[in-house]
Amino acid sequence: MPGDIAVCIKQVPHPDCLAKLSLDAARGTVNREGVPAVINPVDRNAVEASLRLREKLRNRVIALTMGPPAARKALEDALAMGADYAVHLCDRAFAGADTLATARALAGGIRSTGGIALIICGNTTIDSGTGQVAAQLAEMLDFPCVTDIEEIMPEDGASLLVKRAWEQGDIRVRVRLPAVLAVNAKINQPRLPNVLDIMAARQKEIKEWCAADAKVEAGCVGLAGSPTQFWQAGEFHARRQGEILRGSPDEMVAAAVDKLKKLELI
Amino acid sequence: MDFNLTREQEMLRDMVREFAQRELAPKALALDAKGEFIHDIIKKTAELGLVGIITSKEFGGTGMGHLARMLMIEELSRIYASLGFFFQTGQIGMYAIENFGTPEQKQKYLPALCKADKIISTALTEAGGGSDPSAIQTTAELKGDEYIINGRKVMISEAPVCDLAIIVAKTGDKFSAFIVEKGTPGFTTSGKENYVGLRSLPVGDLVFTNCKVPKANLLGQEGKGLAVAIGGISAVGRTGVAGVALGTAEGAYAAAVKYAKERKLYGKPIAELQAIQYMLVDCNMEIETARWLCYKAAVLLDQGKSPRDAGDDITRCKLYSCDIASKVALRAIQIMGGYGTIPQYEITRRLNDSIELFTAAGTQEIMKNTLARSIIA
Repeated sequence: MPGDIAVCIKQVPHPDCLAKLSLDAARGTVNREGVPAVINPVDRNAVEASLRLREKLRNRVIALTMGPPAARKALEDALAMGADYAVHLCDRAFAGADTLATARALAGGIRSTGGIALIICGNTTIDSGTGQVAAQLAEMLDFPCVTDIEEIMPEDGASLLVKRAWEQGDIRVRVRLPAVLAVNAKINQPRLPNVLDIMAARQKEIKEWCAADAKVEAGCVGLAGSPTQFWQAGEFHARRQGEILRGSPDEMVAAAVDKLKKLELI
Repeated sequence: MDFNLTREQEMLRDMVREFAQRELAPKALALDAKGEFIHDIIKKTAELGLVGIITSKEFGGTGMGHLARMLMIEELSRIYASLGFFFQTGQIGMYAIENFGTPEQKQKYLPALCKADKIISTALTEAGGGSDPSAIQTTAELKGDEYIINGRKVMISEAPVCDLAIIVAKTGDKFSAFIVEKGTPGFTTSGKENYVGLRSLPVGDLVFTNCKVPKANLLGQEGKGLAVAIGGISAVGRTGVAGVALGTAEGAYAAAVKYAKERKLYGKPIAELQAIQYMLVDCNMEIETARWLCYKAAVLLDQGKSPRDAGDDITRCKLYSCDIASKVALRAIQIMGGYGTIPQYEITRRLNDSIELFTAAGTQEIMKNTLARSIIA
């Protein structure tokens, strides 16, 4: 496969600490203070998928993220896993981006990196969960896109065979390169970096690029470039009430059906 | 003074934490019940570069240092103390070989030990006493190019499964250290003892009957064997035990906090009861104190302090961490009430493991003697 693999990752709150997050209703932002940040879980599967392809295809893996200075840690983790170098799109102009503005920044980063034959993303993030960026990125770069991938099988240098799941089986898709793939968590188990990899990660390069370096106009990215913007946020408190039905099984079923009908649930 | 870990140390801690969750958490209960040596899991830690974490890269290690080792032992022991304790015992021998061995000994043994292809025991204790090394009765008599070793070492970690052992024996009126390989005629190991804690690490005896060991297997200088053994036991053994105790306490505490927040009594979680809160606060304070004593001792070793110069800090971290581990485990049992003593809740295992730590690498009383001597010197 001629060209390198770019793996797009996002730094998100640690999945075990989501209960500690709170909502700043006035600003419409999530208060992340005191919550450790990690690579979005399925993005680690994307890094792993990239590294496994590299083992077969001998190309380079470039980890890419857009985020504040603290997001550098996510790239360091990707480098420890084995990525060759990283690009950090870090500029105040990127702040407040929705998915489209994020995809524009990432597309700019990928164009400026050059020589990318394959882009691998995680299917969705645990903090926003839109699953849109991979498709938007593909559209901007005019690459084909396949999402929800469980397996990637290299073919010749011009295409890959990928497997995506559906309810009753799986679908195999041949995708020509360059392409954007979004993987799900079933594709692999991300490797743990060994001690030497951790120590070597410091020697690897992280390129820090502003909007100009990524050749994107400041007005097209971040809050200014986002067609969707925060309007209002509120917290929903679910209240549950249990009720034990008594009687014979038939009576209990009839009573349950009756209640569900009254609630217009069936 | 900088209380922050380096980025590499953070990444190591996260990696080991995830390894423990993946490889140990689902199996810990069954492993403890089975009580068999976990060589397959140890091999996985070797692949991650953890077995050689204080061994130089030159000899197949990763050389990340003592604080990295402390973090690793803490994280592993938080889930399953037996594996944490493997690093306590195994790395004593590796440290002794690297610091006192000849270039040939280092090249011959350390790479295989870093890969966990071989397992090493370090043996000082005899039936006549472990706390008093001068009571050692095992003898090594030089005849030609060989030492003839006779005696028995007891209660030795990994004895039933070791491929080589570092032992201390009397040479005349002094003591010397030797490397003895499995298969050497006259060297046998006994079956394992059935201990209540740290059950995945087999403990047994090493028996020497006219065991002929080449002169080249003398470790360090003749007559300086106690320095070899005590140096390793202090720098690596005591800090290792302290790390195991710290992690064990953390594991028990985490379970108690989770239970207290979930278990409802009088219509609200018991975590809202002051009596429970006070117990959790005591656990929290003790663990935090133990952690910084442990980290400080490890940092001093990383700064190049000798085991002797860092001795008071090493002693404090061993003494205090082992002291609080059982206290925290007992409080966790108290918080969890009747559930606390059901093995499936994994708190009795923490208590059993913590009990084993009192005597490891020097009893609590020996630690107090050592510290007392330093105070009044």
